[in-house]
Amino acid sequence: MTDRDGIRRLGGVPARSDRLKDVVASAILVLAAVWVLFPFYWAAITSLKQPVDVFRLSFVPWVQFSPTLSNWRSELFYRGSAIFGGLGNSFLIGLGACLVAMALGTLAGYGLARFRYRGWRNRDISLYFLSQRFLPPAATILPFFYFAQRLDLLDTRIILIAANATFTMPFAVLLMRDAFHGIPIEMEEAARVDGASSLQILLRISLPLTAPTLVAAGIISFAFTWNEFLFAFVLSYSRAVPMSVLIAGTQDVMGVQFWYVSTRLLLAILPPAIVVLIVQRYIVTGLTLGAVKG
Amino acid sequence: MSTTLEARGPEGDGAGGTSWRRSYHLRAWSFTAPGVVWVFAFTIFPLAHTLYLSLQSTGLGGNRFVGLRNFVRLWSDYRFWSALRLTLTFVAVSVVVTLVVGTVLALAVNRGVRGTRVFRTLSILPMFAAPIALGYLGLTIFYQQGGPINNVLAAVGLRPVPWLSDGRWALVSILAVDVWQWTPFVFLVVLAALQNVPAELLEAARIETSSSWPVLTRITFPLIRGPLGTVIILRIVEAFKVFDIPFTLTNGGPGVATRSLTYDVYTTGLRNQNFGYAASIAVVMLVLVMVVAIVFYRSYGSTYE
Amino acid sequence: MAKRCSTYAVLAGFLLVGTAGVSQAAASMDELEKSTAEKAFAAAPKGKPNPAWKGQTFTIATLAAGPRGAISGPLYFWKPYFEKLTGATYRVVEIAFGDMQAKIETDFASGASQYDAVVGGQFMMGDYVANDWIIPVDKYLNDPSYPKMDLDSIAPAYKALDRWGDHWYAFNNDHDGMILYYRRDLFSDKKWQDQFQVKYKYALPNPPKTWQQLLDVASFFNSVEWNGPGKEHQGVSLHLKVGEQGFFDFLSIAAPYVVSAAPGGNPKKVTRYNNVFWFDPTDMKPLVNTAPFVKALETEIALYKAGSSAQLSWALGEAWNAFLGGQAAMCYSFGDVTPLAESAANSVIKGKVAASPTPGSTEVWDFQGKKWVKASGVNLVGNVDGASWSGVISRKAKNPDLVAYFLAWQGTPEINHWNTTWGFTGINPGTKYDFFAPFGTAKVEDYVNAGYDRQDAIDYVNAYQKQDFEYPLQLPYLRIPGTPAYLESLDVHLSEALSGHVSAQEALNRIASDWDEITDRLERDKQVKFYREAIGYTGG
Repeated sequence: MTDRDGIRRLGGVPARSDRLKDVVASAILVLAAVWVLFPFYWAAITSLKQPVDVFRLSFVPWVQFSPTLSNWRSELFYRGSAIFGGLGNSFLIGLGACLVAMALGTLAGYGLARFRYRGWRNRDISLYFLSQRFLPPAATILPFFYFAQRLDLLDTRIILIAANATFTMPFAVLLMRDAFHGIPIEMEEAARVDGASSLQILLRISLPLTAPTLVAAGIISFAFTWNEFLFAFVLSYSRAVPMSVLIAGTQDVMGVQFWYVSTRLLLAILPPAIVVLIVQRYIVTGLTLGAVKG
Repeated sequence: MSTTLEARGPEGDGAGGTSWRRSYHLRAWSFTAPGVVWVFAFTIFPLAHTLYLSLQSTGLGGNRFVGLRNFVRLWSDYRFWSALRLTLTFVAVSVVVTLVVGTVLALAVNRGVRGTRVFRTLSILPMFAAPIALGYLGLTIFYQQGGPINNVLAAVGLRPVPWLSDGRWALVSILAVDVWQWTPFVFLVVLAALQNVPAELLEAARIETSSSWPVLTRITFPLIRGPLGTVIILRIVEAFKVFDIPFTLTNGGPGVATRSLTYDVYTTGLRNQNFGYAASIAVVMLVLVMVVAIVFYRSYGSTYE
Repeated sequence: MAKRCSTYAVLAGFLLVGTAGVSQAAASMDELEKSTAEKAFAAAPKGKPNPAWKGQTFTIATLAAGPRGAISGPLYFWKPYFEKLTGATYRVVEIAFGDMQAKIETDFASGASQYDAVVGGQFMMGDYVANDWIIPVDKYLNDPSYPKMDLDSIAPAYKALDRWGDHWYAFNNDHDGMILYYRRDLFSDKKWQDQFQVKYKYALPNPPKTWQQLLDVASFFNSVEWNGPGKEHQGVSLHLKVGEQGFFDFLSIAAPYVVSAAPGGNPKKVTRYNNVFWFDPTDMKPLVNTAPFVKALETEIALYKAGSSAQLSWALGEAWNAFLGGQAAMCYSFGDVTPLAESAANSVIKGKVAASPTPGSTEVWDFQGKKWVKASGVNLVGNVDGASWSGVISRKAKNPDLVAYFLAWQGTPEINHWNTTWGFTGINPGTKYDFFAPFGTAKVEDYVNAGYDRQDAIDYVNAYQKQDFEYPLQLPYLRIPGTPAYLESLDVHLSEALSGHVSAQEALNRIASDWDEITDRLERDKQVKFYREAIGYTGG
């Protein structure tokens, strides 16, 4: 039986030990909530502090320090073009990577779901894609840098889209494969009898039926690209700089400008937060690449 | 599997023959080929290049072939061993802590007390906060004098902890940030797995024994072993790559106390421009990851059939 | 009228964010800033801008610090004036500090080079010249169409940084160096003077003249409650976090132990044993693990213990804050401390900040005889620690003349001096125009008008003047190819010694061994040549 929080409960009247456990559970929950939210709260108040206040401890605005909007003003007006440029780049790179990963990933996922391969088994192909997630970026960053430099692709969104599409393709492949498995073969057989090609079947019949997973995989791909740092840091330096690198740019010769880190952290977390909350139902399936059904 | 379109496989019903089989495989590969080629171009090929780089030494005029000399030097380089030790320790502790905390949280939330839906939604946020921003922000949180954590410790009468100026505590600091960020992942997965455990089974067990510990260990855990295993492997490979947090919080210090392998590759290759040596570190990382990958394939490969 | 306007500004500020005081002060400072800038602009030499430059633009890369931050600040500030002057403009690209070397090298080496000019650290000069990435600028220095910089007024050590071999490459801009800052009120307080005398058997040195004295003073102030009962009282504040330029402290401490005057008529002559620091100029053997360096590191470790243990995690901001917030009695650092101390938003010690040039040593190491010798008096060695951010022109610049015009204009006495008096620019003093009469032409009023306390300003400027122009010897600056790799090794191993992970000698041995690897990797004979060019060694 599921209660109104969508959590399944055991039936029956709770015993006293159960009630105690509930209290403990609630306490844990509250502590955990504080723990999860504290850094965001800290970022929020730090973004409202004068630089000198940042070095002094204070928790509560107005009571312990005078809040100021000057950091926000400076970021949004003075540095506005850089900030919005960064957000724009993050968005374009995320979108680009997502589209490429989803396009190639959906095709591959469909193939893996519907065909039995010879030579290279389905399982091998799936693991080939999955192993992407295992790969340490350190192993490919140097050649990426080297070739990007040779091909004049440094500081372009293209190269970052390419890199991030590679990193997030496993999500697309494996999630879509799962989704296609869930579509009964009968739906496709009718069209096949009518003479439609596999591609047409994919596009007209199966794909629309997997829309929720499609969106979820796309969003996971987008969100992971949004926060990617190492490749963005190494491969961009002026025109293609995304938000994650702008945050790193708050470290200047005198140290980190925490007040700007905070404003940028909050600005940077907004899009993925919104977008992820939309697809939270699919988060678990997505993050475990289909191994666990959320 | 009735979901395979050509359910009877490429042999078909025998009527088509070789040309049908050929067109079947052609079609099959036309779907996966683009992805396969892409991954090859952007992964396998760069990996080969990294391997090639690891056999070179980078000087003023470019690279010089030196065979395995980089690896020989790596073997006796205490900084490499220190980074390796640090990374492995980080992985082990991070995985264990996130596992324990995440599971406890999941068990607590699974009781279904009020507010769990809200909490579950909130808990997604840490995973999508930019790690480097967290690292920088963490500097102010971990301040030895005037940081909120030490402030709270002082309030309860404990001595201030040298979070960032002592080698061992610096490791704790970067672990703290990582645990904060990734516990929700474990939590959500374990929760989902717990919720897939049939309620009737647990009720039946409850009738047998009123104490929950045996129920937990004998029934629940075995049933969620699959997802738990997946989560452990995914956490291991993610933690292994750690870079953003030491880069921002400690600069790999004090000394080399928090220098991870990826940090070493970055500094050696892209700051000091010593590409050959950096590539050799990357190759070692690759080998280690392959070991984990093989273990994973053996245990879980069948789910991808 | 002006007064009424600023009152309204005050009220508005009060209503909005309750920071009225800051708001009013800021408003009148802005006016003063603008009016003095206008004056400087009017007086600065302008040469003869080429009318063909109208509408053109170039790209200049620099430190990421924003429109009111260090080094990038002046670039934003002077842009409208430059546009008025020439009709041309420029685009400022900001690069995160930690990655400047990598990004700049990447750009210069790539085909689609974007940077026409770079205002970067002087330590990159070796890589630039070795790779032929920048152009010599001798031809612009005496050409009347270009704004005339007063080259003779630049302190010799900084002038040397702008040159390489026989050519000029960089334009006068920033002049970094480290000096000692200390609390004037504490040092002149009889109570502490008496206690110090009793404990150490000599008078409290005001200021400390040697590092040994500084150590005594730091230990003393670390142990007495000069800040009030129960409050933090640290002897010294150093920025020792790895990766945050902490190694410069070590270099400054080692300098007076290592750098000795050459015998004969020219004490500044670079010989195998004199006026050298990093390597033996005959074979590039690192000197870093010899006795004077060990002594310097042990001194630094002792100094670390005479302050907060958190220093190991302090970048510049935190270390300065300990001093500016009134917790530490002394601070040894770059030229940003006094300017920051004068603003209420950043400090509580305005009016109490004394400054003195870098302490020296009573004994120096004799490299030839391999023993300590007593210095005649105190061996004083100045430093140009830091980056001394200056502009260079890329070989791939599309319009190098326009870029040279801009950089030369920024280096003219009027503009450059204005930059040094207004703290936000991060430009530090280093020419005769920045120092006071009778030596230079600056007036204390320049600083007082910019908000400085009179005595603080005098101490600050005089400290740099002494160090730049009166100190007989200078710490050689490392700027050969591979400098970042050499410095990274230094930085990391120093941090290991400071954190107690290894002994001082072992840490220095590790540095020496790393340095040998780097030198070999970059080809020893080439490095020897670059090193000699960089320090001016011609044999002997």
